[in-house]
Amino acid sequence: MPEMGIEEEVFETPEKPEKDESTLNLENEGQKIILQVENLSKTYFQGKIPVHALRCACITVRKGELLAIMGPSGSGKSTLLALIGTLEKATDGKIILDGTDLTSVPEKLLPRVRREKIGFIFQHYNLIPTLSALENVELSMRFSRVPKKEREERAKALLEELGLGDRLSHKPSELSGGEQQRVSIARALANKPTVILADEPTGEVDSKTRDSIVRVFKELSEKGQTILVVTHDPEVAKECSRVVRIKDGTIKDH
Amino acid sequence: MFDLIIRNIMNRKVRSALTVCGIALGIFAVIVMGAMSENFHQTFERSMSVTSDKIRVFSESGVFGGGLTEDKVSDVLRVAGVKDAYGLLMTTFDEDKMGMTGKQILGVPPEKSSVALYPVDLKAGRFLNPGDSYNVVVGSNIQREYKLQIGSKFEIHDKYFTVVGILDYTGSIFDNAVIIPLETAQDLYDVGNSVSYIFAVPDERIDAEMLSKRIELSVKGTSTLSPGELEVQARQSFMIFSVITISSGLLAAIIGGLCVMNTMLMSVAERTREFGILKAIGAETRDILLLTLGEASFMGLFGGILGILVGSVAVYIMNAWLANTRIVLFLITPRLLVIAMLFALLIGALSGLYPAYRASKMSPMEALKHA
Repeated sequence: MPEMGIEEEVFETPEKPEKDESTLNLENEGQKIILQVENLSKTYFQGKIPVHALRCACITVRKGELLAIMGPSGSGKSTLLALIGTLEKATDGKIILDGTDLTSVPEKLLPRVRREKIGFIFQHYNLIPTLSALENVELSMRFSRVPKKEREERAKALLEELGLGDRLSHKPSELSGGEQQRVSIARALANKPTVILADEPTGEVDSKTRDSIVRVFKELSEKGQTILVVTHDPEVAKECSRVVRIKDGTIKDH
Repeated sequence: MFDLIIRNIMNRKVRSALTVCGIALGIFAVIVMGAMSENFHQTFERSMSVTSDKIRVFSESGVFGGGLTEDKVSDVLRVAGVKDAYGLLMTTFDEDKMGMTGKQILGVPPEKSSVALYPVDLKAGRFLNPGDSYNVVVGSNIQREYKLQIGSKFEIHDKYFTVVGILDYTGSIFDNAVIIPLETAQDLYDVGNSVSYIFAVPDERIDAEMLSKRIELSVKGTSTLSPGELEVQARQSFMIFSVITISSGLLAAIIGGLCVMNTMLMSVAERTREFGILKAIGAETRDILLLTLGEASFMGLFGGILGILVGSVAVYIMNAWLANTRIVLFLITPRLLVIAMLFALLIGALSGLYPAYRASKMSPMEALKHA
């Protein structure tokens, strides 16, 4: 729905799952608005020159949506993700995630928001090289003070679910790109976040791995997990339930 | 967090080891210099405790100025409040080994030898008795060095003395004392009836400080050192010595601290992206602080332990080496160990403070962009 000159487009997911009772419930829940970005702007200063990385962006995301954010390099997609993820402070506007306005959350409470409500997936995986796959997944739960046994069990379950049951003790350098990204997905899911923010998650992998990652995203989305994916790849966007395009810091109609 | 801290240290083995060695070197210096200071401190404290009840009366021109004779003893005794007084002649046994670790000849009136040395006890034999002339009571270090027994002959200034008493170990100057009758000492060193100083023992319930002033006013040509004044004077000298020894140790330890800071700053710079990741996945500022400070503190801890171990071994070896000369230069006390350990931890933590602050204040986004 167009807002403030910013438009969004909804794509139909090509392969819709069969509607059983659980998916029906999820779809009903899917109507719930989980994320609302209102007139979000970010201006940097290069010396005294202002650079508008994002201008009055508005997006509404419903629970369980797999939303692709596309646009050329430097268009502001990663900035949008960083702002939603509270990694950066917006110059103006609001980000309402699960009823909380993140722009008004005090700085010192932001780590808690990131732990409890947001899961990050990065293009370069950003795993801690000295930790094993299991420990990498456990890490965010450590910061949530989850007891050791519980976090180990959960990390193990997540990795097994993502097909990495036999790679638990492997360090990132001993894993393929696809495996590392799946560890990174497991890490993002560890604290059961409200939304997953994936920044070019398939940018470093081959097409086969890309397809498997997208498949994981779709499965998670079907289970009610909201995911925002920044991507250049039309093949990834095609698989998402909706695509938002950004150009020069402004969300454009596709 | 503990396992992450240890892992971070272990992942950079060579660098961590060098940093730990830097701190260890500093703590080694603290231990060695501190042990020297502790030894002097103990000798000082014990020496004070065994002579704390007496007022020292000197010649106006000072202890080495001469001019104080035995005649003054009766003058001092006449001062109201003085219970007892006797002169002592003090001189070095070996000319080349002056000071507290050197041996000293103490000429004491034989009948006063037990009170002059009180509360030092005898390990064997007896104190000097009236009528003794070429008899000697020796301190425990002298006895061990010369392997003396009761009845042994002991040469002083080309004369042979018979050992009649051996003192208990006190940790004070009396361990290196050779006590002979005053008259014999005066003859031996050809000083007439001169004495180095007079010990004045105050009556009970008499304020030693007041009495000290009274003696100074009543007995012409003398100056006094009350137990309090002596302690202040000795403490000042001891403080100067301590400041010199301890500060040289601390200097080395501070250099070790800079070593940690350098390592931690490098580590933080290298791990900028890692801190960004940690922040992105929800690490609190205190988590980052804990990780970085913990790492620095652990290096401080390891450096401290290593420094204390190596320092203790070095002190042990040096003491063993000096054992022949009966000079005890180093003393490791529990207090010194605690100070050294706390100092190592403090150095680690303080040196890690700035790097930790930098790490915790990083913008997560900026940190993530870091190559």
